[in-house]
Amino acid sequence: MEYNINHISYKYSKDGPLVLDDVSFSIQKGKVTAIVGPSGCGKTTLVEIFSQIIPKLISAGELSGSFDVPEDTFVSVVSQNPENQLFGYGVEDAIAFGMENLGISQQEISERMEYVLDLLNLQYLRKRSVANLSGGQRQSVCIASVLAMDPDVLIMDEPVSSLDPNGKKMVQNILGQLSANMNTVVLVDNNLVWSANIVDHVIGLLDGKVVFDGSRDEFFQNFELQEKLGVIIPQEVEIYRSLSKHFPDIKLFYTMEEAKGQIEALLNGRRGTPSVAGEKKGSAVITVHNLEKTFQDGFHALIDINANIPEGNVVAILGQNGSGKTTFVKHLNGLLKPTAGDVRYRKESILQKTVAQISKNIILVFQHPEHMLFEETVEREMTFCARMQGVPFTEEEILKVLQNYHLEEEKDLFPLNLSMGKKHMLTILSVLFSSADVIVLDEPTLGMDGFLIKDLEELIISLKKSGKTVVMISHEIPLVFKCVDHAIILNRGEKIFEGDKEVLAGKDELFEQININLPPVVVLSKEFKLEHISYNVEDFTEQICQLAAKQGREV
Amino acid sequence: MDYLKYVDSDSLLHRLDPRTKFAFFIVMAVVTSLIKSGVALLFLFAFFMVLWCVCGIQKYILILLSKLKVLLMFIFLLWLVLGLTQYPVVEGGPIFYQNSFSFAAGQTITLCFDWYDLYKGAVYALRIFLMISSFYTVLITTNFSDIILGLQKWKVPYAIAFGIGLVFQIIPIIITELQAIMEAQSSRGLEIEQCGWVTKVKNYVTFSLPLLFRVISKGQAISLAMHYYQLDFSVRRTAYKFIKASYYDLFFIIANVMAIVVTVVLRIHFYIPI
Repeated sequence: MEYNINHISYKYSKDGPLVLDDVSFSIQKGKVTAIVGPSGCGKTTLVEIFSQIIPKLISAGELSGSFDVPEDTFVSVVSQNPENQLFGYGVEDAIAFGMENLGISQQEISERMEYVLDLLNLQYLRKRSVANLSGGQRQSVCIASVLAMDPDVLIMDEPVSSLDPNGKKMVQNILGQLSANMNTVVLVDNNLVWSANIVDHVIGLLDGKVVFDGSRDEFFQNFELQEKLGVIIPQEVEIYRSLSKHFPDIKLFYTMEEAKGQIEALLNGRRGTPSVAGEKKGSAVITVHNLEKTFQDGFHALIDINANIPEGNVVAILGQNGSGKTTFVKHLNGLLKPTAGDVRYRKESILQKTVAQISKNIILVFQHPEHMLFEETVEREMTFCARMQGVPFTEEEILKVLQNYHLEEEKDLFPLNLSMGKKHMLTILSVLFSSADVIVLDEPTLGMDGFLIKDLEELIISLKKSGKTVVMISHEIPLVFKCVDHAIILNRGEKIFEGDKEVLAGKDELFEQININLPPVVVLSKEFKLEHISYNVEDFTEQICQLAAKQGREV
Repeated sequence: MDYLKYVDSDSLLHRLDPRTKFAFFIVMAVVTSLIKSGVALLFLFAFFMVLWCVCGIQKYILILLSKLKVLLMFIFLLWLVLGLTQYPVVEGGPIFYQNSFSFAAGQTITLCFDWYDLYKGAVYALRIFLMISSFYTVLITTNFSDIILGLQKWKVPYAIAFGIGLVFQIIPIIITELQAIMEAQSSRGLEIEQCGWVTKVKNYVTFSLPLLFRVISKGQAISLAMHYYQLDFSVRRTAYKFIKASYYDLFFIIANVMAIVVTVVLRIHFYIPI
């Protein structure tokens, strides 16, 4: 059985542009269908049509075509921000809310509650309050609350976009269980890294039109389309994509085990000779001395942290949610004052300065762009820091940056009307015109598609080239290893590692301790004892090609 | 530390039926409105303190007190200043300063700073504090799901009960959002620490725009979520949880009745008209 989308076209206003243009495809019952496409391609509009928000709540637009489903088909949605979706103080209250709205008897609510808590392995959360759950746990409870209503189609709209690696794993497991349980799931997400193993069917949208409708394997073999849609794909698939250009007989792989098997066959058991990486020394622009932070409620957020931020480096702060990363960076720009210890910028303590004074040297870009944007145009927003700090700038400089980062066309738009990823890019770009030489980015990839992440990579590299120091909190581990020179790892408020990326790559036990996976290229470089550890797919492919050539294989 | 937010615990107050707590607030609001005796109010304050300490919420009340200190000081000073032109109603007691001033038109005004001014200021400040703290005691010991259930039991229509519960769910979110916006803007160079009050007011205008958009955006997300969960106020809902009074409620009511009786007796015996 299928749910059919027949020739759907939609405009938000009669004079507006077509957001969806003759969209037709089928959602297969009992399968996981992924809808992918860049920001602004119409994914959200499609979710609104599936869930009847259009036309029930948004009725001003023009809708044609039909979503053909049997009568009484119930479609429900899990949104990207569970805190906006959960009604009720306790987990049980939140799960029961939807069922109570449907008028289900108390006994049946109890039965369904047990069923979803068992199915999603969430029994241990049932007596907890929603406010005290982690991001992953909240999203899981949100899925449980929607699932308890027994929807025919469950739509998940970027469900892991704001989660840490533990949270992603939790939602990934739940999606796996739903797939095994033959639930009909529509996943609307341009990031297929976490769901590649589970998705059955892929729909590609571009400029409101369906440009791909096929199986997951077909999609992952269509390299040109993946690039065109800006889909974020697992690094294993990127490796496959790159290697298959040199070794056409290689088979598609999604997992590390499959990758090892395929590359093993290519190299015929041959291994390289690894060289030993040395620690690089550089002068520190920020030094942190015996930093302690205990909050009013007695929670020890940071415990005796000593750290150096090397000048002109890109430095990653890694750790799971709750490890103290954000608390740590908020001490670097003075937003938090330590309970004990000191933070020094170029050997001078910053503790007596205000945040605005520190921002002339160290500037922090927040995780949620909506907290920062308030000017009436994109162009004015770009110059906010410069105006606050009295830094001169020219119109040409602004235009050049807007051009380089594909915001030229939107320069007169209201910033809050941009897509989430572009809003985030704008807040990052706005600090380019400040006087600060240390830029701290908190989760800069939030809401970004593949195109914007590439732009961000280039931006970080250009900042480094211009001598600036970038400190970055990110859960996108492949991006971290591509960009950074140095890393600090925090776990439960304590520093458990500080050093260069090359040294960090050899510390498997640390990554196990913090439950974060090393990037596939790093793992495979070590597995095949390559001359040096690769941090990006291009370098890894080159090393494999060289090794295969030594083996006498035609490349 | 969080403010205006439910405190998760398992104290006596937490275990009470929400209706008992609503009644507690209403009764205490009436009592503190009617009783103007300093001794009686001090007794009531002592009763409240015992209640807070028994339930382990005294530190949250101290936070409330710190947030209210400007308001309470204002009320105290206001009544103190208004009382400067009056002599004490009751004879005796110290007078700290007394003087008459003549005006050009031959009119004189007498200023008298005495114990009665301090008494009046303290009584009015204490009344306001007790009134607010009784509401706050209910707020931090009753989660919004229980508030909704309690109101429904009082036959308040679900749409209104849900709206009230939602307000208590959203208030802490808005406070957190405002804090994040202030931090984000100061991180970008906006001076909010070392500036005059005019700049501070201007800054709040600066913060209000992103806050407004965040609140609108949250409101939209919540209304979409209500749609996803098929919330329809015209349809009869069922309930998973039920609330009912227990022995804790009986004990609490008896303790409160006794406290109110003592307060009234103290009011009768130690009343100074103000």
